[in-house]
Amino acid sequence: MNSILEASGLVKHFDELTAVDGVSFTIAEGETFGLLGPNGAGKTTSISMIAGLLERDAGSVTVEGQAITTTSTAGKGSIGLVPQELAIYPDLTGAENLTFFGRLYGMSAGELKTRVDEVLEVIGLTDRRDDLTKEYSGGMKRRLNIGIGLLHKPRLLILDEPTVGVDPQSRNAILESVEHLSEGGMAVLYTTHYMEEAERLCDRVAIIDEGKIQAEGTRRELVSLVGEKDRIAISGGGDLVGAAEAVGTLSGVVEASATDHELDILAADASSVLPELLKTVTSAGGTITGVEVVEPNLEAVFLHLTGKALRD
Amino acid sequence: MSASTLIAAKDLKLRVRDRSFFILGIAAPLVLATVFNFVFGNAFDASAGLGLEYGLVDLDQSQLSQEFSEVIESLEEEGLFTLQVFPDVSNAETAIEETNLDAFFLLPEGMSQAVFTGQSATIEVIGDIDAPTSTQIAASIADQFATGVDTTQLAIGTTAFVIQAPVTPEFIASLSRDPVSAAFSYQLSDVSAVTRQLDPVTYLAAGMAVFFLFFTVQFGVSGILEEDREGTLARLMAAPISRSAVIVGKALLAFALGAISMVVLVVATQLLLGATWGAPLGVALLVTAGVLSAVAIMGLIASVAKTPEGAGNLGAIIAVILGMLGGAFFPIGQGDDLLSKLTFITPHAWFLRGLGDLADDAPWTAALPATGAILAFALVFGSIAWALLRRKLSR
Repeated sequence: MNSILEASGLVKHFDELTAVDGVSFTIAEGETFGLLGPNGAGKTTSISMIAGLLERDAGSVTVEGQAITTTSTAGKGSIGLVPQELAIYPDLTGAENLTFFGRLYGMSAGELKTRVDEVLEVIGLTDRRDDLTKEYSGGMKRRLNIGIGLLHKPRLLILDEPTVGVDPQSRNAILESVEHLSEGGMAVLYTTHYMEEAERLCDRVAIIDEGKIQAEGTRRELVSLVGEKDRIAISGGGDLVGAAEAVGTLSGVVEASATDHELDILAADASSVLPELLKTVTSAGGTITGVEVVEPNLEAVFLHLTGKALRD
Repeated sequence: MSASTLIAAKDLKLRVRDRSFFILGIAAPLVLATVFNFVFGNAFDASAGLGLEYGLVDLDQSQLSQEFSEVIESLEEEGLFTLQVFPDVSNAETAIEETNLDAFFLLPEGMSQAVFTGQSATIEVIGDIDAPTSTQIAASIADQFATGVDTTQLAIGTTAFVIQAPVTPEFIASLSRDPVSAAFSYQLSDVSAVTRQLDPVTYLAAGMAVFFLFFTVQFGVSGILEEDREGTLARLMAAPISRSAVIVGKALLAFALGAISMVVLVVATQLLLGATWGAPLGVALLVTAGVLSAVAIMGLIASVAKTPEGAGNLGAIIAVILGMLGGAFFPIGQGDDLLSKLTFITPHAWFLRGLGDLADDAPWTAALPATGAILAFALVFGSIAWALLRRKLSR
């Protein structure tokens, strides 16, 4: 398949901080590529450089063979950007927002009329097209935010955590609409810190942390990095951080990490380590309300690669 | 339609839709100009007179005292004050105590003789203790005349010394038919040249218009900061348009807002308040240059501010300082003092001066010097703002 995006050796420093450190990946036509990592991992900085919003200190970006920089305009017509923050004008109607951005992308009046109707249909806002967007609900604004990115039929669509701060119902609607985007040959770059979104939507995923890509591949390829290990999820309360530290010293435990209400543990053999593990959690000040032994997922991969939970 | 025009048109629609353009760009300056005219209008109205009442006591009864009488009578005819002639000092002093007489000029006996023989002479000004300002104005008029006499006295003395002739009335007459009043009238016209050309209504209307112009255009240029805060700037930057197009789009909107508000104000104040702005082409040049300079200065503020609120606060401070310094509220004197010089580091002062130059049916070309000065502001500040804004957008 043709490569739509080629990002190579992207580097960005903010004073002493290296936000992005040598990020490289490609996305093929019709492929949905996920950039999975916790907040502050470098996802937004990376896509800002890819979209030509941010000067990079090193590296190169091409979209359909055209170089993208902050000053270039040629290749940007092939990119559709859906920023993490809502990027719509509250005092314009939904149709006016779409029309304005469509014209910025050089669409003709006739082409726009048809396309605006199509996009409004896709995002389910046809009946609210002439309402000011400040009167929209949060979910409707999110859908319009995505619709603007789709309007000019980009070859590469960049979605930066489009479900952050969205209610579960709207979130599901957004995920459903994204699932079908690549069917027409569009390349999709999707950033998220939700493991389940990356697993559901993406053909390939790059796990990013501290500005570096830790691993990249299909879900199957990434999970294989964990090997034949079991993932044990213990839900509960108390001093889970202390419990994670104590559990990490046990023989047979590969990784242990705590979030607010959960302990994530990778172990060589869950059945042999579980009794001692539960006792250690309790004695270290943790309380247990549930235990689950599950198949390794991207969360486990992240834990395996970085030694910390995805939501840290 | 170009990208910058699209951005400007979109912003104009937003400003009209939220009514901010009408409120700040048109209504506020109109209301304030009307209120200011109502409150302060007469303070600058020469035609309405200053309400001064002066007296004259001529004990000298000479050709020179007659010259002085003619001079102050001519000022009375211009409506600057009313004049009463008294036969002696006691009558004049009684008038000060018992009537509204503010001060009187006393031309002492022998004044003329003293002047023509090269000795010192004095015009006394005796004023009401409760009217110090009026007395000071009378003293200034006397000083003005005395300066003219000194100049003439020096010229006559020098000429007589050079040609070795005695100073006699015939000799003086041979030098000039009316040397003293000629010297005085020259001084008078010089003083009134700049400050009294715009009528008070026009002055206030123009002052308010140029003052509020800076707030109006700030709407446009600080739109970049609002787009940044609202997240839409990222979308604009991701679109296949240049950064310059975004800056130009904002500047275009700022220019359009400023120009529209100025045109509305010029027309409205002409129709409603009776302001007389002068030759339309000259006014158009001044307005265009004024709006450009406002866009440039407010663009510079937007380039250094981090938030729209920050730009608004800084812009308001700068607009008020420039407005006060530039004489947008009250006329600034045209002397040699520091304030008089500082006033010309503002586009406001040049704008008002340009309108003054257009007064009394002057041709449109009279506005060219002031227009050039205002455009220089636009060029200097605009260049700096352009460079800083481009840098800001390439973070």
